[in-house]
Amino acid sequence: MCLIGPGQSGECRVRINIDGVLRTVVYGYPCSINIDPIEKKPLFHFLPGTPILSIATVGCNLHCENCQNWEISQANPEDENISAYFCPPERLVLLTKGNNCPSLAYTYTDPIVYYEYTYDAAKLARSAGIRNVLVTAGYINEEPWRQLLKYVDAVTLDLKGITEEFYRDVCSATLKPVQNALVVAKGSGVELEVSNLVIPTLNDKPEQIGELVGWVRANLGRDTPLHFLGFIPRYKMRHLPPTSLQTLEMARNVAMAEGMEFVYIGNVQSRDGQNTYCPGCKNLLIERSGFTILQNRLKDGRCPDCSKEIYGVWK
Amino acid sequence: MTRRKFIRKLIKTGSAIAVGVSWLINKAAPLPQGILRRKFIWAVRVKKYPGPLKPLRDISKQGKWSG
Repeated sequence: MCLIGPGQSGECRVRINIDGVLRTVVYGYPCSINIDPIEKKPLFHFLPGTPILSIATVGCNLHCENCQNWEISQANPEDENISAYFCPPERLVLLTKGNNCPSLAYTYTDPIVYYEYTYDAAKLARSAGIRNVLVTAGYINEEPWRQLLKYVDAVTLDLKGITEEFYRDVCSATLKPVQNALVVAKGSGVELEVSNLVIPTLNDKPEQIGELVGWVRANLGRDTPLHFLGFIPRYKMRHLPPTSLQTLEMARNVAMAEGMEFVYIGNVQSRDGQNTYCPGCKNLLIERSGFTILQNRLKDGRCPDCSKEIYGVWK
Repeated sequence: MTRRKFIRKLIKTGSAIAVGVSWLINKAAPLPQGILRRKFIWAVRVKKYPGPLKPLRDISKQGKWSG
């Protein structure tokens, strides 16, 4: 939580106290609009193989030293080198429909800082038959989170670490609200996937991975898809090396040994770390290469071999 | 006033006082030091974007940002 004095902006740089009234300067002004494969979010159990219109405004309520998108997340709206589009919710819905995207993602920075824009666009998109996806760090209080989730279909939530120290030292944030957001999201019935950026020397020890996985399994369930993502040296952490494939495979093995059913590797090429296997009969269900679906054997959300229902939204 | 009516009035008044007092306590109780009461405030949009704007271009290609 930050206290915003008169004439000042908050930690996020985009919410300002003007004459005692909280104002959002980025409502309807995304700095990025693109059509991505949904697998890029990452979201592997939600309409696989479909395009998703993806937007972001500048600003973020976290200041992660490893931020992969710091050029926009840590930017001010006034910055000359980051310009924005005028795109109110109505236009966003038209763009999504016009480009044959079944869903709309609020992503890249954090939809929590452009909350009102996200909320209004999601509500309008829902009424137009478009699904809404949030890609977020989940650093939000429960009441606004619950209200937003009413119009959301899927969430990729980045659990950055599993200690208060990590959140304090690396992200300028706290862990508890994020854990609460995860539990509330899962309980609300939206399709939830968890990502974790594995950073060499900071959160890449097997015991740290084990602690994170143990929390996810105990609080969100073993069917929650878990993505271990490779770190790329960026922003204030250029001195660290990129995460190796071996480290990511170790993390995946730890999670699978703990009983997690869907564990993936991202940001690096891996032989089978992006495939979905049936937790029942262990047969291959979805084969992926990068963001491309090579084959999808699911039949009505079930394994074609043993009929086990697979967690996700498949149509 | 019968004894029954009097008891009924007494119960009603008593419970109204109890509800009022508990509401007051809840409202007036100081939170632990350093903790401020959280309130969900809806931000109002500004009419003019403070930064540079650009026209909408081809959006069909994949975004360069992570996520």
